[in-house]
Amino acid sequence: MNRFLIWRWPIALAMLAALLLGASGCAGGNVRATSWTGATLVGDTLYVADLTQVVALNAADGERLWAFPADPENDGRGTFYVAPAVDQDRVIVASQMPPSGFFSQPRNVVWALDRETGRELWPLPFEQAVGQYVEGGAISDGIVVIGNSDNNIYALDVESGASRWNPPFETGHRVWATPLIVEDTVYVGSMDRHLYALRLSDGAKLWSFPPDGDDASGAFASTPALQDGTLYIGAFDNRLYAIDAETGTELWHFESDSWFWGSPVVDGDVVYAADVKGNVYAVNASTGAQIWHEARDVAVRAGMALSEDGSRLFVGGQDGALFALDSNDGYVMWSQPSDGQMLSELIVDELVVYELVLYGESYRIRALYTDNGREVWTYPHGVAE
Amino acid sequence: MFDFIAYPMANLILFLYNLLGQSTVAAISVLTLLINLLILPLTLQQQKSTRKMQEFQPQIQKLQKKHANDKERLSQEQMKLYQEAGINPMAGCLPLLIQMPIWFGLIAAIRYCIPTTPLEVFQFSQHIYKWFVGTVPLQSTFLRMDLGQPPGGAQPWWAYALPALVLATSWLQQKLLAPPVAADDQSQSAMMNKQMQIMMPLMMAFFTLQYSTGLSIYFIISSIIRMAQYYYVRRQQDDGPGGSKRLAQPKKQKS
Repeated sequence: MNRFLIWRWPIALAMLAALLLGASGCAGGNVRATSWTGATLVGDTLYVADLTQVVALNAADGERLWAFPADPENDGRGTFYVAPAVDQDRVIVASQMPPSGFFSQPRNVVWALDRETGRELWPLPFEQAVGQYVEGGAISDGIVVIGNSDNNIYALDVESGASRWNPPFETGHRVWATPLIVEDTVYVGSMDRHLYALRLSDGAKLWSFPPDGDDASGAFASTPALQDGTLYIGAFDNRLYAIDAETGTELWHFESDSWFWGSPVVDGDVVYAADVKGNVYAVNASTGAQIWHEARDVAVRAGMALSEDGSRLFVGGQDGALFALDSNDGYVMWSQPSDGQMLSELIVDELVVYELVLYGESYRIRALYTDNGREVWTYPHGVAE
Repeated sequence: MFDFIAYPMANLILFLYNLLGQSTVAAISVLTLLINLLILPLTLQQQKSTRKMQEFQPQIQKLQKKHANDKERLSQEQMKLYQEAGINPMAGCLPLLIQMPIWFGLIAAIRYCIPTTPLEVFQFSQHIYKWFVGTVPLQSTFLRMDLGQPPGGAQPWWAYALPALVLATSWLQQKLLAPPVAADDQSQSAMMNKQMQIMMPLMMAFFTLQYSTGLSIYFIISSIIRMAQYYYVRRQQDDGPGGSKRLAQPKKQKS
């Protein structure tokens, strides 16, 4: 009996299943981007998670100062998504290493690098978390606090990488937001629909919003903005909240048509926020009343950035376009298209706005002048769009 | 590729989640019932066809003996017999093929509703119906298992029980529903059916080991529904005209 004939139907089914898996994007792959990357500007240096590497770039001309790992082809350390957290001496980054076997899970690792050289500092990287790191950590008082998709918020000693909160603070769902640390308090949102205030030294809960027992709000996936004792944060219930930072009491909320994923920006008495459908709002910081609204009709993931003088507001769309709006009325002053997707947080320096543009499975970093959108430099250099 | 199925399915999960007291397991279970209701005509046809084939086993075996040395003739005679009886021997594959896009749509829908990575959730944010916007993400924990994650990693050891249950229930389903094969039947179709009985449960268990635990709920409930359908069809056919129960009834004595 012809064995192929016997097996042809099962083989055909298995092949069809494999084909459909691949076509549906379900098939596992080591470098398939599942998130966006991030960058942090400190002084004259831009630290960027660039998927296979973390790179330090000269902010003035985009020249590479160092990269970790230096040779990702032969000495890979996984995929780097999250924005590096930077202190005086160190750069704290996280990566996801591919599974070692067919049924094994990816490893999620936090690394500490020398800020000047990119050299690895901790004898052993931190590997306790079992979920993906989606957003970066925040450093204060020798502790880096970072949330993970395994529902936990970890606090690590920046010197040694040892866990400082034992056990870590556990929330009810994934933690996809970078914490905000102010003195001894950590403010961090969770997908469990709560914003938490935790004590930095030991991770004890000071308050949660909404308080336990109250009706839950939407999921929180962004970093709150703080001004004059008030936290401003958007949620997946279409609301932008103003919350008392001391007590966790809601002061007001503003309702939109869709989720607020990116962080709001607060400047004087105005809060600026964009929802995921591309509606940009300016809201009175004291009352929550709408000042102006500009519909960009493009998906917006990341938060906005404000120029140093407060006159221009920058918004990046999933279609790759960067818009500069007049912060007084939302009028579009200029826009700069690209062929990629813009999902990462924007960074604004004195005269330059830095954007990370995703092209399929690779990123390009562009520096543009804030006043006219003209290109200053791109990294990698010489790559045509 | 399957987003045209995944987006409505994910919105349906959100609707059911709100309707059923914010229980993810209940939402997936009811969705499974609805999907099975939708493909009920196909699965019933398949099961009736299988039962008919069971009735024709004696004739098939006779043909096999008669044309033991002429495979081509045997195949022709078998097809003739099936055609005369109105049986489609490939009817079993149709529900399976139709279900495949549903599986892949469901895999994506579960990932949209219980997200593990952000890029797809952001994509889904543009396709959520306005009534369910605040519902994402769904509660992901059930019996300390994360329904959005595959077994392994931080999942408790009993998360592996679900793929094992998938394997057991789908094997049982295949055993009941596959066309009957005589132990000594070495024909091509018989061998194929035997292989299918092994391959399908293994393939389903493989899926559930690779993808979200929530998918296991769909497979287990689907298999149970199919088995219940099988017993229903068998009972109907046994009780119906020409059914085995009626045939077995003793003739009434003339008074």
